[in-house]
Amino acid sequence: MTLEVVFRDQWGRVLSTLVGILGDIELAEEAAADAFAVAAERWPRDGEPANPTGWLVTTARNRAIDQLRRRQVLAGKTTLLARDLELGQSAAAAGPDAATIPDERLELIFTCCHPALARDTQVALTLRTLGGLTTDEIAAAFLVPFDTMSKRLTRAKRKIRDARIPFAVPPDHQLPDRLSAVLAVLYLIFTQGWGGGRVDLAAEAIRLGRALAELMPDEPEVLGLLALMLLHDARRAARLRDGRIVLLDDQDRTLWATRELEEGREVLRQAMIRGRRGPYLIQAAIADLHLHVPRDWPQIAALYRTLAALTRSPLAELNLAVAIAEIDGPAAGLAIPDRLDLAHYRYFHSTRAELLRRAGRTGEAHDAYRTALELARTEPERNFLADRIAETAPPDAARGPARPG
Amino acid sequence: MQYALLAYTPPEDTDRTTRPIPDPLADRLDRPDITGWARLHAAETATTVRAEEPPLLVDGPFIDTREYLAGLFVIEADDLDGALAVAGDLLRHTRPGTAIEVRPILAGRFR
Repeated sequence: MTLEVVFRDQWGRVLSTLVGILGDIELAEEAAADAFAVAAERWPRDGEPANPTGWLVTTARNRAIDQLRRRQVLAGKTTLLARDLELGQSAAAAGPDAATIPDERLELIFTCCHPALARDTQVALTLRTLGGLTTDEIAAAFLVPFDTMSKRLTRAKRKIRDARIPFAVPPDHQLPDRLSAVLAVLYLIFTQGWGGGRVDLAAEAIRLGRALAELMPDEPEVLGLLALMLLHDARRAARLRDGRIVLLDDQDRTLWATRELEEGREVLRQAMIRGRRGPYLIQAAIADLHLHVPRDWPQIAALYRTLAALTRSPLAELNLAVAIAEIDGPAAGLAIPDRLDLAHYRYFHSTRAELLRRAGRTGEAHDAYRTALELARTEPERNFLADRIAETAPPDAARGPARPG
Repeated sequence: MQYALLAYTPPEDTDRTTRPIPDPLADRLDRPDITGWARLHAAETATTVRAEEPPLLVDGPFIDTREYLAGLFVIEADDLDGALAVAGDLLRHTRPGTAIEVRPILAGRFR
């Protein structure tokens, strides 16, 4: 294993163990970074230790103790003193190859996704602490300046420490709410990933999702989310052609990642066995149905109805409209978006436009595509919409050219 | 009659957790006419709970100049979740539209 691989796999584990010991994310991060730096220097020379994680935790812990001693000398008597003494004792007791290191990643992920932190911050902090992404990488992925991201992360870590946000898995009565926040953060990281860029956020979200599934194997929604992400991600290579979005029916299926699809289906099956169907599990089941030829539209519509009833989300209704259009024709499908309040949502207009086009209402479709273009965020989306605008343009071209997005 | 004195400091004043209370002020804090005092953590550590069902949690202090500061509670809790639970319970018995800002206390004395 190269150090880089160890780093990617072990950062979250090492850091969460240290946070468990030290109760301070900032201090734990410094110590973990130090330990990885020492490893980078020593491992190539002395060989990798038998238990890399144990080695890293012990080294980091010793670094943290030194750091605390120095601070203690500087600042005199502080509240950290008690911890320091405790720490000195336990560090002396544990050997460098302590085989049983507690895995506290679950505690850390619930801490990072605590509702007392803003959603943006939850996302950034999860990527930093559990994913081990650098502040630079996170700033680039979310298109904010480095300083902004750095301040946001520092502020969050201090709030966790000073306001004493618990480093714990929430009690049963709070678990459903808190877990749904954690899942929302992972899914947000995943969907942000479609934009591409320096960091592959989709892969990162799947990695975090796998870790979460390993830590909470009996939660159907955790498995449901992992399955959903895998089934989407498997089609990634086929989603774009010549810089344009390719709709599912037009995708080259040989480009789909077969192993990822199989894994997604297996995880979905595991989730189904556990019963209790939540929104992610339903969406994963729909994603799976979409891959079959011919598509079972009545079944898809039924699942979207369940999803809409469960989440009261207008997005589920919008998707239901597409399924209804396949079953009963575009006119029947169009009745649904006409009563939805989604004018701010980019896919609302493109979906409505698609249904209008199929219903032969070309002029209205043309206008809806133009509205969608104004809201489009990525180049492939804009290119796709520009093509549709051209196709639906009135023959006399009296309306003028489409405005660039 | 008791009065609450609320001290405001500039937001850039960020090293308060490590800086000791100046001696002359510390002496005054011991005076019998001061029945309690608290030094608060920075505004960034605040969490606000609004009376909604379920209670809405917001990251940050409660700032809305149209509202007025109507009272204060001093509570004891193990961690933020404990404090939020108390705030949520209090909210259910306050006027509709009330919000409670939960801000950790850095140091204090009450009697």
